[in-house]
Amino acid sequence: MLKKLLTVRNLVILLGVVALFVVSGWLGLKVPPPHVALAAEPLFHIGGFAITNALLTGWIVMLILIAAALLTTRSYPKDLATASNSELVPAGMFANFIEWVVEGMYNFSAGVAGQWVSKFFPIVMTIFLFVVTSNWLGLIPGVGSIGLFEHPEDPAMHGYVAHGVVMTAEQAHDGEGVILVPLLRPPSTDLNFTLALALSSVLLTQYWGVKALNLGYFRKFLDLSGFKQGAFMGVIMLFVGLLELVAEFAKIISFAFRLFGNIFAGEVLLAVIAFLIPFIASLPFYGLEVFVGFIQALVFMMLSLVFFTVATIGHGSEEHH
Amino acid sequence: MDVEGLKAIGAALSIGLGAIGPGIGIGILGAKAMEAIGRNPEATGDIRTNMILGIAFAEAVAIYALVVALIIKFV
Repeated sequence: MLKKLLTVRNLVILLGVVALFVVSGWLGLKVPPPHVALAAEPLFHIGGFAITNALLTGWIVMLILIAAALLTTRSYPKDLATASNSELVPAGMFANFIEWVVEGMYNFSAGVAGQWVSKFFPIVMTIFLFVVTSNWLGLIPGVGSIGLFEHPEDPAMHGYVAHGVVMTAEQAHDGEGVILVPLLRPPSTDLNFTLALALSSVLLTQYWGVKALNLGYFRKFLDLSGFKQGAFMGVIMLFVGLLELVAEFAKIISFAFRLFGNIFAGEVLLAVIAFLIPFIASLPFYGLEVFVGFIQALVFMMLSLVFFTVATIGHGSEEHH
Repeated sequence: MDVEGLKAIGAALSIGLGAIGPGIGIGILGAKAMEAIGRNPEATGDIRTNMILGIAFAEAVAIYALVVALIIKFV
């Protein structure tokens, strides 16, 4: 095993890494430790409305998705019913790829949602694509590391000294220093974005519940049917309804914090590892973050789909044990 | 001990203790799912889907601890 790893190529890579350490120490290339901002920083204001870097990146994600959708569907005929088979063949590799992704997801959703799939799929697929794009955008070099120098708003923070365009590790003395405000920040690392998605998902759950069961949907929050079996059972069913109500709000919190926590922690992890060991060491974590970004998008989509589907199934049918 | 030091200990304890339960839970989930796939390889797709759902719920608890840790540390 060890003998196999001991090739000339690997030795050169190892020497290169050591040389990088030596050279960077020798040149005095010291950078300040990463400044972790829990909230997205405003870049500029339109009227009284602050445009944060996460919001800006959110718009970029939307533009990417719209462009991808237009590119894919451009070659499709207007009238699908009368189109010949050869006209329906996806044009080019990109269209093929997108069609493969959408079709795979559609079949998967059909297995969960059954007859409701054509209603739910556009929503959950949009959630999936939006979240996965914004998660992966944060892994592109330059996102989060290119930005503007600004004086820290908190007077207790000193900030660092900037020599030209490079921020050095020297700390400024009395609130005179600068911090880097990144131009781009993945939307999923902003709690506002994840909370908005969570609210949309939970509100849509109520919408589909009402659509499927009319006002009978709300019976699960205020269940009086237990009183038929005596006062004790009635009180228990009322309490269960209360728990259902609490669960709806818990859903919002867990949706929002799951996505935010995972992606934000991933960003912090990558930054911390990169500052502990500057070279190579972040690579495995980078791979991990690619995986986590995909899984979190999938989980968000799948949970939305499952909650939608559960909402359309009457609560009464569960009681027939 | 100053406030910063206490904050660091608080954050570390929060995520450290908070990760124990979900860690055990995800371990059990993964083990049982592998067992199930071993018994019935044809149901791999369904088992995987449900496993990921279960893991997402178990992991949410760890994420709460993480968010608490982040809030203690950075706010």
